[in-house]
Amino acid sequence: MVDLEQYLPILIFLFVAAALSALFVFLPMGVSRLTGAHKPDAEKLSEYECGFPAFEDPRSQFDVKFYLVAISFLLFDLEASFLFPWAVSLEYTGWTGWSAMVIFLGILAVGLAYEWKMGALDWQ
Amino acid sequence: MTEFFQSLGLTYEWAWGLATIAGILLIALPLMLSVAMVIYVDRKVWAAINLRRGPNVVGPFGLLQSFADGLKVFLQETIIPSAANKGIFILAPIVTFTVALAAWAVVPFSATAVLADINIGLLYILAISSLSVYGVVMSGWASNSKYPFFSAMRAAAQMISYEVSIGFILVCVVLFAGTFNLNDIVRAQEGFGLGVINAYGIHPLLFPMWVMFFISCLAETQRVPFDLTEAESELVAGYQTEYSSMSFALFWLGEYANILLMCILNALLFWGGWLPPIDWAPLYYVPGIVWLLLKTFFFFFMFSWVMATVPRYRYDQLMRLGWKVFLPISLGFVVVISGYLMATGHFG
Amino acid sequence: MIQTLAFYLFAALVIASAVMVIMARNPVHSVLWLILAFFNAAGLMVLVGAEFIAALLLIVYVGAVAVLFLFVVMMLDIDFAELRAGFVKNFPLGIAIALVLAAELIFGIGAYQAGQLELGVASGVAAPALDASNTASIGAVLYRDYVFLFEAAGIILLVAMVGAIVLTHRRTENARGQQDISRQVRRNPDEATVMKQPEVGRGVDL
Repeated sequence: MVDLEQYLPILIFLFVAAALSALFVFLPMGVSRLTGAHKPDAEKLSEYECGFPAFEDPRSQFDVKFYLVAISFLLFDLEASFLFPWAVSLEYTGWTGWSAMVIFLGILAVGLAYEWKMGALDWQ
Repeated sequence: MTEFFQSLGLTYEWAWGLATIAGILLIALPLMLSVAMVIYVDRKVWAAINLRRGPNVVGPFGLLQSFADGLKVFLQETIIPSAANKGIFILAPIVTFTVALAAWAVVPFSATAVLADINIGLLYILAISSLSVYGVVMSGWASNSKYPFFSAMRAAAQMISYEVSIGFILVCVVLFAGTFNLNDIVRAQEGFGLGVINAYGIHPLLFPMWVMFFISCLAETQRVPFDLTEAESELVAGYQTEYSSMSFALFWLGEYANILLMCILNALLFWGGWLPPIDWAPLYYVPGIVWLLLKTFFFFFMFSWVMATVPRYRYDQLMRLGWKVFLPISLGFVVVISGYLMATGHFG
Repeated sequence: MIQTLAFYLFAALVIASAVMVIMARNPVHSVLWLILAFFNAAGLMVLVGAEFIAALLLIVYVGAVAVLFLFVVMMLDIDFAELRAGFVKNFPLGIAIALVLAAELIFGIGAYQAGQLELGVASGVAAPALDASNTASIGAVLYRDYVFLFEAAGIILLVAMVGAIVLTHRRTENARGQQDISRQVRRNPDEATVMKQPEVGRGVDL
């Protein structure tokens, strides 16, 4: 059974970690105002470019390849998440479960082979 | 620890709460301290391999170098670029560091010293480490600057590519252990190799998995030879380019906390965790945490060693290694290992 | 007590962040709110004891689906004025769909309350080892009793894979920088280099 008492520390841990990180971000902001290190000016606040004003919107050039990587990852991640319960339940399912998974992996291996053949796994 | 607080005359609830808070601080604070020290170790190891001295000015042998650096960034001005999306820009380092810390909640430091002993410990670590993509993407996008954005996209694609094979490799370990509970995985390794060696890694089917896991860890944490996101000649400082002060440092701290997590996972999953290397009674007198930290330190040394000796990959080579080499091999090994375990009657 | 508090915390955050997904002007903010919603939904799953489902929510939805959304949203060059125009135009349709969904929900809950329906009655052959973790229990049912559905899921994933490639992949002929590793490894000094001894003033034929 699920022991919820084991999950409470994780929740508390998340809060503590978030509080600690927020402290690390906001405390120096206050300290630099107190010490007088906080002196922003227009040049300092402009985005980094090698010494000249940026030409174009930096977010405009996004390649569709990244989308393909993300969707392949999504599919294989789903496949992996089918493997997780299978890996711990093989003793109950025996050869039936094993062969079911081999067929499943076979189907997806076809998909992988197709991606490979189409050159979708090549980065150009 | 709950018993200790109860012995002070507290009720169970209060004792439990105090013990949990103490446990969290006992993990988080030494972790931050060891991150600081490990950065020093990293620099010393590279220096030694390059025949240099490394940090040697601040404190004896330069031991306090990281703290000096920390103080410096702490006192610096926090610059938020005017073009940035302020909210997300500030949130990104918080997310990065929170995620890097949160994964440690389920790590068993010895048979009993574990904060949250959950059934799905390994899945929790996998889930939390898949969140670390967001810190990177958020910082790159919110900076609204060319180089951080490119770097973040590269980093995200790289991290998700290698997460695929990490998932399959973990399945191989879980097949042997039959559980996702990290403590039980460690216990399952007791006397695994020839009845004397406490490690999964020496099994001829699991050793190649470990090698792949180690390399994937390097890629997942963006270490050399996979540190394309920080390729100075192309991308300045990567997705943290626009950051300054402690926000910048948080990315570093998070990165090193993740590296330590990967080292400790190597030790836990493949090399016996808190068990001594050999199943021999006198070795059990040494506390488990000592063995675990020794192993972790060794893997960290390997990370530094790789960093000092290997040149950087090109991006297409990195993608090729992830998708065309690691993915098919780890998939194949899942089938081979499960078939082997079925055939040898591992599942009774 | 803590469980109740945690439930209300998660539930309130799920609803609040779901509202923010719709209300946020910037689509990237929407995706980030969506991630927060998923995260809290995982918390709710843990509260009902479905720890494996919670882990899956994080691994699949937060770790993969939302990354994909984020990539798509960042890739789009969004014209907000156009989007809002669409909002006004599609508003009646949206309301209609919402009403239909609400009606279905009410009917569904009503029918279930009336006790006429028996949902999800197990065959009884399933339900192995109750002491096992729920990850193992899911596996024991899924890979023995629901093999067909499982394989069908595999086919769906295959279709998705093929579809993604057909939709997004542009094949470029003789692309730049394509590395043929076996050719690199096969190459040896005898083939790659030649010794020439040119006479003075003659030059070399290559």
